[in-house]
Amino acid sequence: MAMADQANTPLGRMLLDEITPAVAKERLKQVITFAGENDVSDLYSDPPPIESVLTTSQSECLPSWFRYFNKELVRTVSFSEHEAFDHPVASLVVVSSKDEEPINKFVDLFNTNQLPSLLNDGAMDPKILKHFLLVHDNLDGTPEKALKVLADMRSTFGLNACRLLCLNSFQDGLADHQENLWAPYKSDASPGQRLGCFLSMEDLDELTDIMQDLSSKQIIPHMEQKIRVLNQQVSATRKGFRNQIKNLWWRKGKDDTPENNNGPMYTFSSIESQIRVLGDYAFMLRDYELALSNYRLLSTDYKLDKAWKRYAGVQLLLLWRNQCSVGNRAFINTGKDLMGLCFFDDLEYWEMMGLTYFMLDQSRKDAEYSMENAFTTYLRMGSSGQRNATRCGLWWVEMLKSRDQYKEAASVYCRISGEDPLHSAVMLEQASYCYLLAKPPMLRKYGFHLILSGDLYKKCDQTKHAIRTYRGALSVFKRTTWNRIRDHLHFHIGKWYAFLGMSDVAIKYMLEVLDCSYQSKATQELFLRDFIHIVQKTGKTFEVFRLQLPIVNISSLKIVFEDHRTFASPAAECILTDLLKIQVNVRESLWRSLEEDMIPSLSTTRNNWLDSQPKLMEKKYKESNVCVAGEAIKVDIGFKNPLQVSVTISNVSLICQHSATADEMEPDANSSSSENQNDEVLRKLVSSRELNSDTSSFTLSEVDISLGGGETIVVHARVLDRQLVGKHHLEPAGAVYRVQLRRIVLHVFVFTLPLRVRLGDALEEEEPDLRPADRSPASRSEATLLPCLPQSADPQSRGRESHADADATPAAAAQLTVTPRVEGVLNIVGVMWKLSGSLVGFHSLEPNVTRKKVAKGNRKLKHSKSSNLKFLVIKSLPKLDGVLHHLPKTVYVGDIRRLSLELNNPSEIAVERLKMKISHPRFLNVGNPEDINIVFPACLEKKDSSARSNVKVGTKKILDTVFLFPEDATIHGGTPFVWPLWLRAAAPGHISLYITLYYEMGDLSAVMRYRTLRMHYILEVLPSLDVSFHISTCPSKMEEFRLRMDVANRTKSDSFKVLQLSSVRKEWGISLLQPIETNFPLESLSAGQALSCFFKLKNDRTLAPAEEKVPVLSNVQGTDVRLGSDTSEPVLDTWSSPLIDFHHYERVHQPTDQKKIVPSCCLIFMVVLNSFMHDQRYQDTVDFVLISRRQGDDSSPNSHNIFSHHACHCEITSSSPISWLVDGPRMVHHNFSGSFCEINLRMAIHNSSDSVVSIHINTLDSTPATLSPSGNEAGWHDISLLNDNIKVTSDVLGGGVQKSVSSGSLSPFIWSGSSSTRVKLDAMSTTEVPLLLCVFSPGTYDLSNYVLHWSLLSVNEHGDSGAGSRQSSGTCQGHPFYITVLQQD
Amino acid sequence: MATTACFMIVSRNDIPIYEAEVGTAPKKEDAAHQHQFILHAALDIVQDLAWTTSAMFLKAIDRFNDLAVSVYFIHTRLMLLHDSRNDDGIKTFFQEVHELYIKILLNPLYLPGSRITSSQFDTKVRALARKYL
Repeated sequence: MAMADQANTPLGRMLLDEITPAVAKERLKQVITFAGENDVSDLYSDPPPIESVLTTSQSECLPSWFRYFNKELVRTVSFSEHEAFDHPVASLVVVSSKDEEPINKFVDLFNTNQLPSLLNDGAMDPKILKHFLLVHDNLDGTPEKALKVLADMRSTFGLNACRLLCLNSFQDGLADHQENLWAPYKSDASPGQRLGCFLSMEDLDELTDIMQDLSSKQIIPHMEQKIRVLNQQVSATRKGFRNQIKNLWWRKGKDDTPENNNGPMYTFSSIESQIRVLGDYAFMLRDYELALSNYRLLSTDYKLDKAWKRYAGVQLLLLWRNQCSVGNRAFINTGKDLMGLCFFDDLEYWEMMGLTYFMLDQSRKDAEYSMENAFTTYLRMGSSGQRNATRCGLWWVEMLKSRDQYKEAASVYCRISGEDPLHSAVMLEQASYCYLLAKPPMLRKYGFHLILSGDLYKKCDQTKHAIRTYRGALSVFKRTTWNRIRDHLHFHIGKWYAFLGMSDVAIKYMLEVLDCSYQSKATQELFLRDFIHIVQKTGKTFEVFRLQLPIVNISSLKIVFEDHRTFASPAAECILTDLLKIQVNVRESLWRSLEEDMIPSLSTTRNNWLDSQPKLMEKKYKESNVCVAGEAIKVDIGFKNPLQVSVTISNVSLICQHSATADEMEPDANSSSSENQNDEVLRKLVSSRELNSDTSSFTLSEVDISLGGGETIVVHARVLDRQLVGKHHLEPAGAVYRVQLRRIVLHVFVFTLPLRVRLGDALEEEEPDLRPADRSPASRSEATLLPCLPQSADPQSRGRESHADADATPAAAAQLTVTPRVEGVLNIVGVMWKLSGSLVGFHSLEPNVTRKKVAKGNRKLKHSKSSNLKFLVIKSLPKLDGVLHHLPKTVYVGDIRRLSLELNNPSEIAVERLKMKISHPRFLNVGNPEDINIVFPACLEKKDSSARSNVKVGTKKILDTVFLFPEDATIHGGTPFVWPLWLRAAAPGHISLYITLYYEMGDLSAVMRYRTLRMHYILEVLPSLDVSFHISTCPSKMEEFRLRMDVANRTKSDSFKVLQLSSVRKEWGISLLQPIETNFPLESLSAGQALSCFFKLKNDRTLAPAEEKVPVLSNVQGTDVRLGSDTSEPVLDTWSSPLIDFHHYERVHQPTDQKKIVPSCCLIFMVVLNSFMHDQRYQDTVDFVLISRRQGDDSSPNSHNIFSHHACHCEITSSSPISWLVDGPRMVHHNFSGSFCEINLRMAIHNSSDSVVSIHINTLDSTPATLSPSGNEAGWHDISLLNDNIKVTSDVLGGGVQKSVSSGSLSPFIWSGSSSTRVKLDAMSTTEVPLLLCVFSPGTYDLSNYVLHWSLLSVNEHGDSGAGSRQSSGTCQGHPFYITVLQQD
Repeated sequence: MATTACFMIVSRNDIPIYEAEVGTAPKKEDAAHQHQFILHAALDIVQDLAWTTSAMFLKAIDRFNDLAVSVYFIHTRLMLLHDSRNDDGIKTFFQEVHELYIKILLNPLYLPGSRITSSQFDTKVRALARKYL
């Protein structure tokens, strides 16, 4: 019976441990697992903040099972052979009186065969005190029999060693004891069973008596007796000088005995064991001095014998003795388990008693030294000493803890942790708590060790413990910026929760790691895959607020809606509201400047239509945006995928809130001040939406997109009429394209502004109606800037497309449909989407509310922000749809096409009073209604002068920047309204064409009186032909010029055929210098080819008789030159409608102050020599139009294949009002032997200006080289002329004459006659001046050494007005005129 | 010999503003967070030591297994987790990085305490690590 329940008694467990050492381990594991199970309850709660952890007392924050675990751990190492503490001192043998043969049973029970091995193999003294107890149950009968047995026992075992215990003497039963005596030992009893109910008070007293007798009368006297005996023995053998000498000798002789691993074996009878037992007994009986002296004695012995285990044990005891002797604190109950932690509680108590610091310090030093020694010695033994080391470490730790040396305690804990991962985990966790309790708390160490122990727990499948430790660590790392730590924590906690099947908590933690762009791709994949796996395992759809994947870029939020402004196509839309208010106004200001003079003058702000409705003028309505029922509100939201792996997002849609009146909205808007409340609002809205999606007052659309790694996408969510749009997808490129455009517009705008300032003067002359970007200098910069801008935008789009290819997940932007169907207020609250099909993310579109609360000054901002997402829905209105048909995406420069604008009004209410304005009239022109039906290229063909009426119409139209449609033009009921437009690609680049159309409601009761339709088209214009002109005066003929035309084909592959060159003003006639065939041998210009050809340019007006002041334009036929050899091609009339209109804009556009190369690819060249009669300039600028045709282009039916290139303001080199011609013999034969040669020359001078000119002819005898060629180039001396002169003469005359030329400074010829002649010349008149030349020697001479000074005599006409702009005087260098004089023999 | 080294600059409030794995050992997936853990835990020791010494370079103030943490105190803390015993090299490395860091600070566009994103700095630190560690 004494050993029946072996596992529950120390002795019994000792036996078990001896048999199976793994049992101890197993038992510890059970303890841990049990503790883990009990902890589950709080796994759901959030980890406490670290501040609260710090303030909780030690006992609270430490898991309670640690103490139990430590106790168990210490117990596993009891009953070692080198300590006497666990050695049995006495044995209580108990037999029931019911037994048949009680005496024999007693003998059997204490049979030596059954004793533990330690007793049998001699490590312990088998002669222990035996006490025999007979237990009698009174319920079984009267105690007579038992008394008889007791008598037998006394005779057998001795009088004192036997006792009788009678139990259950309470006959009537059911005595009620406060505490159940047996309960702790009878675990398998059923709850209803009342244990110990038969115990009377006498029984209990007797039990106590027996135990007291046993300890005080038997055990303690026995031990005292033993101590006395042992002390005598030890004194006899080891104490005293003689014995020590003897001992040394004896030891020397013992040295040659072979050593085994555990050192020499000491049996109980050896003197060392006896000393040890003596020490231990003395220790137990509080005779610390005796114990200490014995331990010291032993330690030297063991050290010498290299019995490390025993040595360590003795060191340990020395430490104890120190502690205890200093504390002088008796052990209250020696029967209690000595190794329990109560011992250290006592130490604490002892400290509190406040002993002298001196004693404290000394003992501390000694104690630590002993501990350190013992611990390292145990560790040195390897695995066998591990458990002892653990025990030793635990004591050490407790000792350190009791002195608040937590840091040291923690490091000891770390040292305790050995190979067994489970033990290590517990130890590390305890270490972490030590760090927490240290002063100051070492929180980071605490967290780190928790993590370490958590990893070990997980390794041992103690998931719950692992989670517990990680959660503890989480409170340390809560807001850490150490991203990898944070990810590691959340990911593993999440995974383990999922392992336990607590998916919702798992997901909560896993959500934290989704935004891990800094992790490697493999890690990202792992995170995402595990996360999605967990989500899918639940089979439910989770709703998550502020889901981090993908990231919603709030700053990119753009909202486009239509109030009185409507948009024909997505490209036309400008952001009417966004949260940052930055980009709003760029595009909008473009439109506004375009609409400025169209919309009613009162309507300078967009809300002014409300003026007619005073009841709507409440303030909050003013602040909110207006939209029309049935029309879309479009929201662009940027989604960014921070990962390198692609994710799929589906069902992207807006969360909207609709109410009939504005007042209902207010509480909601206010309640969303805190984030949580905001979430609640969202959740409510979402759930309500799912319930009544059919009956709600708006409809939403959904989009599915897929985000590649690192991709950013803009989703266009639309609130729309379901019937109209349904679900459709935009090309991905379209989305990018729009981004590009926005950039381009932005850039151009920025660049044009400085230009405008600089060129302010030039701008003054031009039409004030044009927008800045359209003014000529600005637009020119646009033309050069644009080609490079798409490149800057390109990498984005290209990178994106390649991503899409790699992931095989084409990205798409789609549109959602929701219609506000009912009047009222619509509030866009947030956006929701579904990640990987099972996780719903929400994001509130409200700007950060908390931030607003902080700053007082932000109140104004807050108002405007919150109202951005709120829309006042008004009754539905007619809305025009506009399409521009036949507009090509890409054209070559100069291409002329006819487009048709189709307007549709699906509503029955008519719209009227249409007006239209076009941003680039240079590119796009409004045609006449009859243009719809004409055959386009043919209509341009030259007809009789009766067709001239067109001109007037055209010019009139040009001057009106706003085109008014006829009064009777009303559109309603789905009848399309078509109007022709002319397109001419004027300059290369990406051109944004803005067309805005104003219309008024036919129904006067409508809330809005007018609306505008905005159309925006992108045109890519490719360079085709580069045309440049160079005009030089013809030296041989007055008023005639040479025109060189350089045409280069800049296209990649197309070839062009040049058809015609024309001038618009008829004063200038063009004719070919050479026949066509020599100019164009190949008929056409292929790609990359260049061509130059020469023309003769003649001013017809000056040649006409002077009295014909107004030249009859139609009479002059020389203005068009056919350049192709194919005579079947008609000659086109440059004065006909689209051509002359476009030419007008070209004239305005192209700068007048410089010669320039016009990029052009026309087939017809119209050279327009511009010499308006009223022009302030002289007749020195020419406008050319070149008309060309692309070869082999029959593919596009809409292309008329007519290209026109306009070169305006081509200057004639001469800028003076006069022209002259020197006439005379070219070759003169003269005999120089007689006299010098006199030659008569005539100079014809023509005044081409319309005022009187005074001309002063200065002949110079010096060579012209000494003169500056022009006044502007002072300091330049051209000496080449002189050298040429000499060379020529020398060639002809030989050496003799050359000497005379070179020797003197005298020129070989001089001007005779008056050296200065002054002539006055009337306007448009010609005169002749005679000149006389004297030549002294034969040779060829350049007679250019004269100068013509001219000055205007501002007499009567135009004098004052033009004085500022034109030169009033000037100097002209003489033309070269070569004369050859030969010696006449 | 493959060495492990993880360099970090930790600014006030324990915010890492720069980190680099500069060891020659092949990269392991879990090494990154482990190194962060060790360095983070070492901050406790750093915090204690900072007030007890005037030296800038403190070698091996904390250990974890065979990895040691060395610190160089400036107004931030340069921390190196290493397994090599080359104290002189580590000291020189710290001094050179200190100079680089001063150059970063001199940049008027750099907000002290914010993350160092300069790729040039990164390149130079890695080069120094190759040279001295």
